[in-house]
Amino acid sequence: MNRKTFINNSGRLILLGGLVYLTGSIIFKRKVSASGKYVWQIDPFKCMQCGRCSTQCVREISAVKCVHAYQLCGYCDLCGGYFKPNTHKLNTGAESQLCPTGALKRKYVEEPFFEYKIDEKLCNACGKCVKGCGSFGNGSLQLQIRHDLCQNCNECSIARMCPTNAISRVPIEAAYQIKGDFKNPALTNPK
Amino acid sequence: MKWLKIILFLLPLLLAFSDLEAQQRFPKPEFHTKYTQPTPTTPEPRGVGMEFVDVLVLLVVLSLTSWFAIKKRSRNGILLLTVFSAIYFGFYRNGCICSVGSVQNVALAFADPKYVISLYALLFFLLPLIFSLFFGRVFCGAACPLGAIQDLLIYKPITIPAWLRKTLGFIPYLYLGLAVLYAATGTEFIICRYDPFIGIYRMNGPHLMIYLGIAFLLMGLFIARPYCRFFCPFGAILNVFSRFSRRHLSVFPTKCIQCKLCTTACPFEAIDFPDEEKTKPDTKSNTRRFILYMALIPVLMLAGSWIGSKSHVFLSKAHPDVYLAELLISHPELKTDSKNIDIQTFLASGKSLETLVAEAQVIRDKFYTGSWILGAFLGLVIGLMAMNQIIFRRREDYQANKGNCYSCGRCLDYCPVE
Amino acid sequence: MQDTQDNIKLFGNLITVSGIFCLAVALLLLINYWHIRQTKPLETEALKSLVQQFQADPESEALKKDIRSLDLLARKAFFTSQWQIKAGALLLLFGAIAFATCLRIYHTMKARILEPLIDGVDSKVTRMLSQRWILITGGLLLGSALVVSFLTTDYLKIYEETGTVVQAPAEPAVKVAVVDKDEKTGRQKTEDGGQEDGKTVVGDAGALVIPAKAGTSPLSSAGVLVTPAKAGAPSLNTDFRNNHPSFRGPWGQGISYHTGIPVDWDGPTEKNIKWKVALTKKGNNSPVIWSDKLFIAGADNESEVVYCFNRLDGKLLWEQDAKDIPGSPAVPPKVTADTGLSAPSVTTDGQQVYAIFATGDILALDMEGKRIWAKSLGVPDNHYGHSSSLICWKDKVIIQFDTNKGGRLLALNSLTGEISWDTPRKAKISWSSPIMAEIDGKLQIITTSSPTVAGYDFDSGAQLWAIDCLSGEVGPSAAFADGLVYAANEYARLAAIKPGPTPVIVWESDEYLPEAASLAVSNGLLFIATSYGMFACYDSKTGKKQWEKEYGQGFYGSPMIAEGKVYVMDRSGAMHIFKVDRTLTSLGDPILGEKSVVTPAFADGAIYLKGEKSLFGIETIRQQKK
Repeated sequence: MNRKTFINNSGRLILLGGLVYLTGSIIFKRKVSASGKYVWQIDPFKCMQCGRCSTQCVREISAVKCVHAYQLCGYCDLCGGYFKPNTHKLNTGAESQLCPTGALKRKYVEEPFFEYKIDEKLCNACGKCVKGCGSFGNGSLQLQIRHDLCQNCNECSIARMCPTNAISRVPIEAAYQIKGDFKNPALTNPK
Repeated sequence: MKWLKIILFLLPLLLAFSDLEAQQRFPKPEFHTKYTQPTPTTPEPRGVGMEFVDVLVLLVVLSLTSWFAIKKRSRNGILLLTVFSAIYFGFYRNGCICSVGSVQNVALAFADPKYVISLYALLFFLLPLIFSLFFGRVFCGAACPLGAIQDLLIYKPITIPAWLRKTLGFIPYLYLGLAVLYAATGTEFIICRYDPFIGIYRMNGPHLMIYLGIAFLLMGLFIARPYCRFFCPFGAILNVFSRFSRRHLSVFPTKCIQCKLCTTACPFEAIDFPDEEKTKPDTKSNTRRFILYMALIPVLMLAGSWIGSKSHVFLSKAHPDVYLAELLISHPELKTDSKNIDIQTFLASGKSLETLVAEAQVIRDKFYTGSWILGAFLGLVIGLMAMNQIIFRRREDYQANKGNCYSCGRCLDYCPVE
Repeated sequence: MQDTQDNIKLFGNLITVSGIFCLAVALLLLINYWHIRQTKPLETEALKSLVQQFQADPESEALKKDIRSLDLLARKAFFTSQWQIKAGALLLLFGAIAFATCLRIYHTMKARILEPLIDGVDSKVTRMLSQRWILITGGLLLGSALVVSFLTTDYLKIYEETGTVVQAPAEPAVKVAVVDKDEKTGRQKTEDGGQEDGKTVVGDAGALVIPAKAGTSPLSSAGVLVTPAKAGAPSLNTDFRNNHPSFRGPWGQGISYHTGIPVDWDGPTEKNIKWKVALTKKGNNSPVIWSDKLFIAGADNESEVVYCFNRLDGKLLWEQDAKDIPGSPAVPPKVTADTGLSAPSVTTDGQQVYAIFATGDILALDMEGKRIWAKSLGVPDNHYGHSSSLICWKDKVIIQFDTNKGGRLLALNSLTGEISWDTPRKAKISWSSPIMAEIDGKLQIITTSSPTVAGYDFDSGAQLWAIDCLSGEVGPSAAFADGLVYAANEYARLAAIKPGPTPVIVWESDEYLPEAASLAVSNGLLFIATSYGMFACYDSKTGKKQWEKEYGQGFYGSPMIAEGKVYVMDRSGAMHIFKVDRTLTSLGDPILGEKSVVTPAFADGAIYLKGEKSLFGIETIRQQKK
């Protein structure tokens, strides 16, 4: 019985020592962020709108949504993000809309400016409008991970498949990176 | 640069802007009507404080389970905690981060100096292990959401032959080894990717994940807790740790009266029966076998590490960079395939194939180290598991097997001893 | 007791019912999911073809109506299926909860004590069986891993052993060819008796190139560059001075060392126009000259071509396509018409000529047009089109590769095309070209971009200094003279920078700023040509404006300095020639008769201009006689 207890105790001590070593080596040699939380973020400067955000997210409808940086928007009449290429008449009919779910809404402001707003409930992160806006306009439409929807998976399943590695883990304080605020140099300079 | 003509036309207007704003292709208009510009919506993520609430809840659940299992001897208490865990960690917290997956975060933090692990992920990894060293696998008993959902849906458990159980018990170690290897090399988190129950807890997810979950649950109606017993990599660690636990749930409170009532109580067949006289081994031949195994284990480890080092090539193909590099070398014609997004992005990035191959080679070298360690580990596990079958421990009572018992407390109600 | 029995039965039935319910819902969900996957309502071919038809016939109301109704249907299908999945999941959850609850109650109520297992299993047999199976499984696993490992191919190893697919086999041949070429061109030039051209001892490529006629070539002091490693301070050699080897002349400094440049010509009447050749492919690049050969490039959607003309008579000597380059995109990237697919100028070191296109394809040809190497750098992410010109020196070709993905400065080995160094830079996309200059005894590459103006070590690519002073979309290249670097961009500023470990802005100005034209400095004077037609002269030391002159046409081509004169051509093709002087002295405004956006190239007694449609060789009569 004594022998058994001894083996038991020393085994426990060894395993405990192993745990202490593992934790210690992580804490002292590497970095542990005590108060930090990390969330997933898309770098809009790297994003190339391949469309995988809409198919790879663990959610049936992706947690990635198109976000509109109004500060950057030119309020163009002919919006590359709203209209299909070669659109004949600039109206809101289904034949001219690029968005497959009709999530991008167009509203008249004043001659000749239009406001474009995203109905995030409908957005499925296909990125078509982002690509359209980026190639012809200012690039004010951007894909971002929405943290009210994101499950903050241990490993983002979109990040795994992202061809440009645009998705990375960032500290919670800077959860969003939306280009467009040119007063803030951190958001205008690609990393 | 056509638009520049427009800008030249608007030059006086533009000069009024700061030079930074001139970077826009189409300048923001100055509205004459009353128009307030909306701001982009950015819902905040869940705060850090809440993560520590999770740690606290885990701590409380673990402590309560230990108390219910060892002191209070209450199956109902543990059952309530199980339901609570399924609701809190499962349906409310959506199963992320869980202790099972945290193994990978720890492995990556240990291997990759650049990866920063958050403290609560580390605590989620450590707490169940520390508890298992003192009170057995109380984490599996009630705190684990993956275990909870299976535990609640056991219908008619069947008996699995011991030899099959023990052989299948090898899978968790293999899974653990691969998960650590892939996490440490920064390839992917396979435990999370193939987690069967997250999709169910979230009621949302890739359909394959949900099918896998449903399949496991259906299987679980008849084979109690199949994921826990035959797949869970964290369970493999807990199994080892729990064997050395200081205190552990006991089937009987004071003394076993050999009534055999508990023999059918455990759906996981984790109750060891006392040895019968006729099964006692021949000491001489057993000693010989033991010595044989002591010699065999190093051989197995060596063989394992050699095979592991040989296997690093195919194991590393799971890494996206290695995969891409090899694809470009083996199928150069794919470069013209405009549908292949990965290849087209790589070509557009301007990175040369040499650089990519060099990077892939670095990853493959990491895999070389990792694979031979994995091979040696698996050799050791095979050796120890086999040797364990000839080591004979004297048992007189019906008692829970410290390695396999989940501390679910079912057997407690079966014991007539007060 | 009867009650309990009934209850047990009841809950047993409930279990069955809820279980069947769950199964049925799960099955329905499965079918629904499979259905969505199959049909993909948001991406129907029918809708796509309707839209195409509509684009062909935009007035058709019927088509419009069809599209709208089909689109509505598709969206309805999509959102209904989403709703179904959600509802199904909830139903399934409630079913499962009911199932689990019934299960609990059933188990609690059912007589707990079953018949105990009286007879334990024969554990000795079981143990032996377990032991055997564990060993068998383990062995099988390791064995199959071994088999698989022998069956897999290590492509990385294959790649590393056989080396680079395209270049490796060609490499030795290239070396020989280069040496041959060196001898040939050297001989050719001596036979031509072209002044000092005989000394074709180019210091580049280091030890690889053995000067064939070193004995017969009297080297001027500037030409002693055969052992660059020992020479210490590098400087521009006579070979480069006597030619026009890259955009804006030797080292891209905007200064030509030629004499007897014509100041008077007239395109429409062909006065002093020695020859004129129609261009076949578009390209906003500027001509480059080595000895008697003049190089330009052109590209359209079909092909990218490098042309070599005899500069004495305008005859096309050869043309070479940039085709079959691995990694080159099947379709050229979208570029704007005023940038084009071939905006970067070619460059030459007298042995080879290098060209880059908007596709990211770069190629090296020998002086006879034979391809030495070619590679793709990947399509530059550039919304106008890549336009930074190449520059070469010794054994390296320098590429400023600033795209929307970030900035890079690359040096390729001129003999093999392999990357010598690749420096990532803190820079946004730019359209300017690198220049080279010797600063503090070190040969540097100076680049402008947003926001950084920086100097890089020629040998290692290391950044030596950098200062953030520009913004916007930077097109103008830098200039260097008397220890100061000049950089400017429209809407940003003009800055004179003293380079060093901590660069200092000596003076700055924002009165006149260029958009595309680069700066030129000579004799203490700095020249600026803006895109809205202003040409101005500043004191390069103090920044004080000396004089200005406005034209109706803007300047895209850069000013060039030659023989104490500054040449600048506006977009209508009118050349404006001034004396490099503190007072405005116009020396003539000859016209080309064609629009032009390029920078002239010079040779002794000649100037070469490229218009929208034609290439012009201009010599005055005096020079022609010689």
